[in-house]
Amino acid sequence: MPKHYRPPGKKKEGNAAKYITRTKAVHYLQVSLSTFRKLCILKGIFPREPKKKVEGNHKTYYHMKDILFLAHEPLLEKFRDIRAHKKKVKKALARKNRDLADRLLNREPTYKLDRLILERYPTFVDALRDLDDCLTMVHLFAALPAVEGERIQVERIHNCRRLSHEWQAYVSRTHSLRKIFISVKGIYYQAEVEGQKITWLTPHALQQVLTDDVDYNVMLTFSEFYAALLGFVNFKLYHSINVKYPPILDPRLEALAAELYALCRYISAGSGRLSGYPQAIASIEDGQREVEKTDTRTEESELRLAQLQHQLPANEPGALMHLMENTDDMDDEDHEKKECRNLFRNFKIFLSREVPRESLLFVIPAFGGVVSWEGDGSPFKESDEDITHQIVDRPTQGHVFLSREYVQPQWVYDCINARIILPAEKYLVGRVPPPHLSPFVDNEAEGYIPEYAETIKRLQTAAKKQVLPMPGIENQDLDDPQTLLVEGIIDRTEANEAAEKKRKLTMLEKQYHDELNMELQGITYSTSLSNKNLQSSVENVKEDTVTTLEESEDLSKVSMSRKKRKLYEAMKIGQERKKEKIKVLKERKKNAEASKTG
Amino acid sequence: MVAAAAAAAAAMGKSRRSSKNSDRLEQEIDEKPAANGDVEEASDRDEESQPSDAASLSEDEGSPGSPVDSEEDNWDVSDDEDHRSGEESDSSEEEVPSRNTIGDVPLEWYKDEEHIGYDVAGRKIKKQARRDRIESFLAGVDDAKNWRKIYDEYNDEEVELTKEEVKIISRMLKGKTPHAGVDPYAPYVDWFVWDDKGHPLSNAPEPKRRFVPSKWEQKKVVQYVRAIRKGLIKFDKPKEEPHVYLLWGDDSSAAENKRHGLSYIPAPKPKLAGHEESYNPSVEYIPTQEEINSYQLMYEEDRPKFIPRRFESLRSVPAYEKALKENFDRCLDLYLCPRTRKKRINIDPESLKPKLPSRKDLRPYPRTCYLEYRGHTGPVKTISIDISGQWMASGSFDGTVRVWEIETSRCLRVWNVGEAIKHISWNPLPELPVLAISAGHDVLILDTGLGNAEEQARINELLHVEESKPEEDGGSTPVVSWVRDEKYDCIRLKHLKAVTTVEWHRKGDYFTTVVPSGDSRAILIHQLSKKHTQNPFKKLHGLPVSAVFHPTRSIFFISTKKNIRVYDLLKQKLVKKLETGVREVSSIAIHPGGDNVIVGSKDGKMCWFDMDLSSKSYKTLKAHPKDITNVAFHRSYPLFASCSDDCTAYVFHGMVYSDLNQNPLIVPLEILRGHTSSDGRGVLDCKFHPRQPWLFTAGADSIIKLYCH
Repeated sequence: MPKHYRPPGKKKEGNAAKYITRTKAVHYLQVSLSTFRKLCILKGIFPREPKKKVEGNHKTYYHMKDILFLAHEPLLEKFRDIRAHKKKVKKALARKNRDLADRLLNREPTYKLDRLILERYPTFVDALRDLDDCLTMVHLFAALPAVEGERIQVERIHNCRRLSHEWQAYVSRTHSLRKIFISVKGIYYQAEVEGQKITWLTPHALQQVLTDDVDYNVMLTFSEFYAALLGFVNFKLYHSINVKYPPILDPRLEALAAELYALCRYISAGSGRLSGYPQAIASIEDGQREVEKTDTRTEESELRLAQLQHQLPANEPGALMHLMENTDDMDDEDHEKKECRNLFRNFKIFLSREVPRESLLFVIPAFGGVVSWEGDGSPFKESDEDITHQIVDRPTQGHVFLSREYVQPQWVYDCINARIILPAEKYLVGRVPPPHLSPFVDNEAEGYIPEYAETIKRLQTAAKKQVLPMPGIENQDLDDPQTLLVEGIIDRTEANEAAEKKRKLTMLEKQYHDELNMELQGITYSTSLSNKNLQSSVENVKEDTVTTLEESEDLSKVSMSRKKRKLYEAMKIGQERKKEKIKVLKERKKNAEASKTG
Repeated sequence: MVAAAAAAAAAMGKSRRSSKNSDRLEQEIDEKPAANGDVEEASDRDEESQPSDAASLSEDEGSPGSPVDSEEDNWDVSDDEDHRSGEESDSSEEEVPSRNTIGDVPLEWYKDEEHIGYDVAGRKIKKQARRDRIESFLAGVDDAKNWRKIYDEYNDEEVELTKEEVKIISRMLKGKTPHAGVDPYAPYVDWFVWDDKGHPLSNAPEPKRRFVPSKWEQKKVVQYVRAIRKGLIKFDKPKEEPHVYLLWGDDSSAAENKRHGLSYIPAPKPKLAGHEESYNPSVEYIPTQEEINSYQLMYEEDRPKFIPRRFESLRSVPAYEKALKENFDRCLDLYLCPRTRKKRINIDPESLKPKLPSRKDLRPYPRTCYLEYRGHTGPVKTISIDISGQWMASGSFDGTVRVWEIETSRCLRVWNVGEAIKHISWNPLPELPVLAISAGHDVLILDTGLGNAEEQARINELLHVEESKPEEDGGSTPVVSWVRDEKYDCIRLKHLKAVTTVEWHRKGDYFTTVVPSGDSRAILIHQLSKKHTQNPFKKLHGLPVSAVFHPTRSIFFISTKKNIRVYDLLKQKLVKKLETGVREVSSIAIHPGGDNVIVGSKDGKMCWFDMDLSSKSYKTLKAHPKDITNVAFHRSYPLFASCSDDCTAYVFHGMVYSDLNQNPLIVPLEILRGHTSSDGRGVLDCKFHPRQPWLFTAGADSIIKLYCH
């Protein structure tokens, strides 16, 4: 029997058997579409693109194995249970059987996502790799209005808020924040946790409006999964720095909406305690060797005491700082981390009322600064003499302390992105700050360098040269590949130009040498002849370049295969577009400058 | 509702009228004083014919008669009064001349009549004069009671409802009883007096079940108890377990930490924000107002999604209104978008270009125009170079054939054939300077007269045809008739249809002609020495385009529009079929080695076939944007060329190695320009010089050009 003929009722093969459309999948699983959707989101199952779309081009195809994977999912059964349970409750209420309804409501079937998370992210690094969307979602939900009766439950929003603060506290504590960018859409942060670059977006700290053009069921399902994921990730991260996870916060600070600060305090206290832990044990053991080793109860109580003793000084800010410094010294970290930790090291920064407090409270400690704000529960007051900078975002500043600088919030972010302390003149109160540039853009690859980026680069190189001879940081040498690389990157374009010049020079030199050689060999070429020769060669070269310019493209295109030719043309179009964009930018810049001067 | 109310009102008016008009009512009215006088008597007589008007009204409306209580008296009284007033109005209405008696017939019947019906006496009732709308409106404005007036179509008159009637209607609309006084839930008055009767209804003894506990209840209780004991029913709330714990222990065991199921394709990360998304971007990132306006003219997809804005300070940045929507879109992408792994190539486009040997190393090849041959007045369709390399013949649409001396560009001879020349070709034997010309339906074998005397004599002998030959064939019409042409002193082969190409065999005795519309006689092979014609290819698959002899062996190529068929002439069978895969083949050329073929097509592609390699093309070169008109191989140099209607000719290096393991090397060398387009046609023919690396091109601008190295 020929292979292409399949008698009715026989198994299918190939793409027809491997892939299944969404409708068929829903029928196959015997669930409603919304449940299917939820399952797909939770399990992380996505449609695939079959080579041959058997049922039609406009349909969504799932892999049959994925669907079987869903079919064997215990969650599916759980969803059915929940549905049945809801029906039971409804029935009981309709029959006015309050008793039964209450009893049923008490024992609502619930499900947990831990197994799913482990299934989707078998290792912790996998989870970190996929954390971008999770963090963005959680931060967005944290910014939504927590109003009773809205489409999103209040507990959920509070949970998201708590999780986001916990994450930020961890990032801030471990100094793993790398880049920050204030965009119109919100603030982008990039952190490096366990070698993974994690970028997330937090909306501006303003009231978000719940619009009607989104399907909240989908978003809620996502947020449910992401909240669970972030919970486990936070647990693991806190575990890694020896802090007990579900943190217990100072209720006073929590009430003042300074959860982040409260968390930071908690973490530093906790890690301090636990880092001091072995010492405590050692001392206790020393004592006990002499006496007895059996009485475990006393040991426990002693431990408790030691812990308490360590906790106590943590309440004072000075002691806290001390503890933090201690732990810092113990860590062995890479160069970048050190750089980040020491950026605002000797800075005491005070935030005015009008600046985005949450962001700055997160950012400044992450780069080693000490920060306070206007309001209750703040570690130090505005009148503190040691304050070096005050972040202000108002047209004019009334009362001015001469000992500190009054700068706009953008200064902090620009300093962080440049990794140097930028001069504060441009950011002073009342001035229009210089443009805020994205740290995510590779200017060289893009082909256009904004003016301010060049200024920052110059400042950076200047700072490096200043820093180098200092005795404190001797271990980073000129030979350090990273610094070299950085410097290399800095003047890549310049290098290109230089290389071009160099080539020309070498060519001329070579010619000269040839002539010299000829003279040395004593070949009596008449000058006119040699000149002619030279000229002809030059002409030759010229002609060659012209022809290559004109025809080489056409000719080499002819001998390319069609696939390569199309690819080549597409790439050329892309390059053209890029060039066009840069041209527009340059044009605009020129116009702006002209209008400024004229 | 309103319509229903109006209908009800009309019915009411009608009923009232009918009740008034009925004889019985008149009788009642007559009886009224008596009834007033003696109530008891009336009640005795009949319940239905109660004297009060109210009862009669209610009866007319179809409501069941209910016993009138003393409480309802006051209502009765009011109704009485009402009726009395009604009667007063009635008395005034007595003057209304007549009432309609047509009965229950459709009123349409009287639509076109002047009357609406007949009164009791059988007189016609005239229609009242119609008031127009404005008048009725004005009347309505003036009259405060207008809203109570209803037009009775049946009697053609306006009826004014009383206030009571309006009340009744409104009550009916609300779904209440028509009269306020009716109590629908009057207490039930039992007809039987139960007191002091002394006997129960049933005298059965009290059953036992009233005294023993229920068995079923007990069973239910037992069920519950068992369920509680088993733990099926629990009363205390379930204990809350910690919802987070250390999920990822150690990541060391790699085998266990593998994801199950299909390969996971991580979702691509969202694009990171660039400079333009900053709250305070550089000036150059902010588009001007004109640019923003111009975005409106763009297509929806091309329009930039985000327009940069600049804020003076951080405090003036508003909340981003699309935050939720964008996040939602990302969610949709994550769970709805099909994911596939795609290889992104991040390479320099220049690296895609194949590494070709330098063109300098491949010299000599024709590069610049060296000579032009002018003289033709129409597009030069075809050229042919003598094997000696001294002469060139050209044929043009102006009907002339010219022979040129190549080195001096001097035109030696001109023949005016009269018809457009399609193809021209020199005999490959050097001692036989004879031209084969195809023009119209004929092929001419023309003596050019360029040979020496001895050769001329031979040619004359060869070109001699006996005139009697055609008659000998007799019955069937001959495919071709060999005729002596006196004018040019040559042989004329008359075909049945137009001939396009004529090609010589390498030995110069045979030649083939192609008649595309000739069906089974499309491809003919002629023998010059015997003046004989054969038609070996009876069946052709597709329209023939051209036919060529193999340069060394007895193999014959026939190209149809799609395919090339290769025949062995000795064995007389098909050797190979080359599939071009192009839209329409226009020309074919055979490599002098004989194993490689190039085919030009009308979609501008040129295919190189290696016959030993495959029946598919070894390389397809897309050089020309327009039709390729001809392709040519050089006889000795590794060169080949193609010319096209886009006024260019390409010269390629095509090296064929004797080592069979090495594929031919094809390098594009030069684009030859110079011809101008006329009538949409460019270069019509190209031929190489037999010994020099020179290329001749014939253009539609009636010029022949010679390109030299």
